[in-house]
Amino acid sequence: MTTFIKPSAVHEAQPMAPHWADVVEIVHEAEGISTYWLKFQDKNLAETYSFLPGQFNMVYIPGYGEAAISISSDAEDRTRIGHTIRFVGNVTRAVSRLKVGDAVGIRGPFGTPWPMVELEGHDITIAAGGIGLAPLRPAIYHIMNHRERYGKVHILYGARTPNDMLYPEEYALWKENDIHVATTVDRADDTWKGSVGVVPMLFYRYRMDAPKSAVLTCGPEIMIRFVIFEGLARRVPADHIYVSLERNMKCGQGSCGHCQLGPYFICKDGPVFRFDQLEDFFNVEEF
Amino acid sequence: MIAQNELREVLQAIPWFGELKPEHFEKMVSISSVHDLPADSELFREGDRQDRLYIVVEGRVALDIFIPHQGKLRISTAEVMDLIGWSAVTPGVRTRTASAQTVIPSRLIGIDSRGLREASDEDVEFGYIIMKRIAKIVAGRLMVTRLQLLDMFASPE
Amino acid sequence: MSQEKLEIGSTYALPKAEFDNLLARLKEKGFETLGAKVDHETLVYEPISALADLPQGYISEQKAGEFRLKKTHHKRYFDYIPGAHSWKQFLFPSRQELFTLHKNGDGWNTELPDVEQPKYAFIGVRGCELSAIQIQDGIFMREDFTDPTYAKRRQNLFILAVNCLHPAETCFCTSLKTGPKVSPGFDISLTELEDVFLLEIGSEIGRLVLQGLPLEASSAFLLQAAQKGLERAEKKIQRELDTSDLPDLMTKNLDHNHWQEIAERCLSCGNCTQVCPTCFCWDTVDTSDLLGKETKRERVWDSCFNPSYSYYAGGNTRPTISTRYRQWLTHKLGTWKEQYGTLGCVGCGRCIVWCPAGIDLTEEIPLFREEKS
Repeated sequence: MTTFIKPSAVHEAQPMAPHWADVVEIVHEAEGISTYWLKFQDKNLAETYSFLPGQFNMVYIPGYGEAAISISSDAEDRTRIGHTIRFVGNVTRAVSRLKVGDAVGIRGPFGTPWPMVELEGHDITIAAGGIGLAPLRPAIYHIMNHRERYGKVHILYGARTPNDMLYPEEYALWKENDIHVATTVDRADDTWKGSVGVVPMLFYRYRMDAPKSAVLTCGPEIMIRFVIFEGLARRVPADHIYVSLERNMKCGQGSCGHCQLGPYFICKDGPVFRFDQLEDFFNVEEF
Repeated sequence: MIAQNELREVLQAIPWFGELKPEHFEKMVSISSVHDLPADSELFREGDRQDRLYIVVEGRVALDIFIPHQGKLRISTAEVMDLIGWSAVTPGVRTRTASAQTVIPSRLIGIDSRGLREASDEDVEFGYIIMKRIAKIVAGRLMVTRLQLLDMFASPE
Repeated sequence: MSQEKLEIGSTYALPKAEFDNLLARLKEKGFETLGAKVDHETLVYEPISALADLPQGYISEQKAGEFRLKKTHHKRYFDYIPGAHSWKQFLFPSRQELFTLHKNGDGWNTELPDVEQPKYAFIGVRGCELSAIQIQDGIFMREDFTDPTYAKRRQNLFILAVNCLHPAETCFCTSLKTGPKVSPGFDISLTELEDVFLLEIGSEIGRLVLQGLPLEASSAFLLQAAQKGLERAEKKIQRELDTSDLPDLMTKNLDHNHWQEIAERCLSCGNCTQVCPTCFCWDTVDTSDLLGKETKRERVWDSCFNPSYSYYAGGNTRPTISTRYRQWLTHKLGTWKEQYGTLGCVGCGRCIVWCPAGIDLTEEIPLFREEKS
């Protein structure tokens, strides 16, 4: 188990009570997906709050409840926190009605991060699907902020249609930072000049130095399964494949029991797991 | 048309051609041609009688299917080292099932499909290498198609 | 005797008639005394103020799916085996306010509930129940996450434990090594003999509560009687759960076809999780006023048998009864060990008794050792 770091935005007296943050900007990303930029009302907390790439916050809308949302901004940008949110549930649909200036409750950051320090010196493949790019974006920022610490970096990203792709205006910046970017969509019409297909397919199209490579992946569970399959087929070691999983996190602190997967509480022992931790459970149906 | 020695170089750069014996490689040279095409060049259309199997050396080729009243739907793209038109060498299927066109400037190797079929029938060792490669491509295409069919990014509701 | 200094670890005899004075002592020290009472033909844990409140003369007959309280001719107070209630409801209430919000312009003011928590004295905690409390301690008072309500109530808690002399047919504490004799962790433990209660002091507060009561030194005869009673109780427990291959048996049989066979009987009602003294899953509920000016957020018990338990934006991870039952049992007898160092079962038998379909885990578990078909 990793050493426990006390999350910045959790009240000692009642860990379930939120800290309040104001919505300072809303950016439309795609149909049904927006990024909410937040700033803590408590000035001290706004300065001291910190997170690691891959961690999440519990976002609370009074009367609706909380949802676990990964943090999708640069961990080194301490001025504000970004959450890219897809409106699919009760809470996130309430989020979609927020306006700039409204307050939301925040607890966090929770969960395990991407192993950015351990992976220094490695080649990295980031394989993301759909909204799964959001929890990987802080890892991309981290790589760009410390580009010299990593070898070859590949970003493989797939979305449903060209209009569903997240952060398209940033791909040029990634490429400028010597990152190989390959994108694909599930479906398109004949005006689309890019690739059509799925993320696991993108592994076919470049050479990987497997022993010194790591794969970081997040997206639909079915996509993750095939990404792992492609990684293992190229002989990337199971302990160099990292997966961020989603379950119904409720408390964020391994107490309420909801997000269990085998012996793990995904909110506390995850969301980022090394694949060898999951091997026994990953292919068990409906576990 | 480019020179023979340049064609050789292009073929030698394809990793799986390394599996071929020298005489098989020579056979490939004799039935292959290099095609440098600008964007939006048509390779073939649905219903065409097949003539070539293509290997993408550079660029991107899209496979489209025409749906009445909906227009063309882009079902997949082939990129560097992908094969296109594998139905050219499978028994039974003899017409194109999709249309193919370049979407960016591309370099392709075209392999005469009749020549390839005949050479495979004559020398099954050669034919086996070709069929293994085609089976791999078809398996990959099938995996992609299954994942597309699942519509994995759709909302759960 | 009463003037001598009592010692932790020593055992003394208290005349039964003096027990009310013990309860009075606890009240004086600010404890609310809780114990078993007969209510609507079953047993509940409620406030008690006198020995007479306890179910004197009762025994409880328990079978899979069956609980019958019976009045007998004997005069003992602690011969009953507890009902559906466990002490869990007092340390980890089934519904509890987390905070209330009041609208203030564009934002919200947070009001936390009173930090003061009740001071409880549990009267009649069985060995299995004490183990269950200790298991929940590890869940709610972790180094990296402490539940403030639980922690406060637990710190305040006084435990008067009881050695079980008349276990029920559904008891299997001997398999889990939680009873019938209570293990350390109590303030006082009690063994009921015909005329006296034998009291062992387990803590300083236990000693202070007893100091000054008319206690007698326990004679060798009394100690032997208690010992014999415990030996008889142990022999009486016939039900067995072989734990030697747990937790592996669970994690290695996730695809066993027996899950489906259980699911054909299981109603997914969640009774087992509600009566289980270690089950700890909870959910949150917001209740708002119609004007949207006030919202109360509460913590409520949840159950892995509720369809909503495994629901998230990606769908329901456990849509069938067999997958939910599998989650419950593989957690309880499997992955719990990796999470908290022990199994999640104490052998109290509540899940067997209160299952409307009479599903009995001690009968189901051996079937997982048989070949998968």
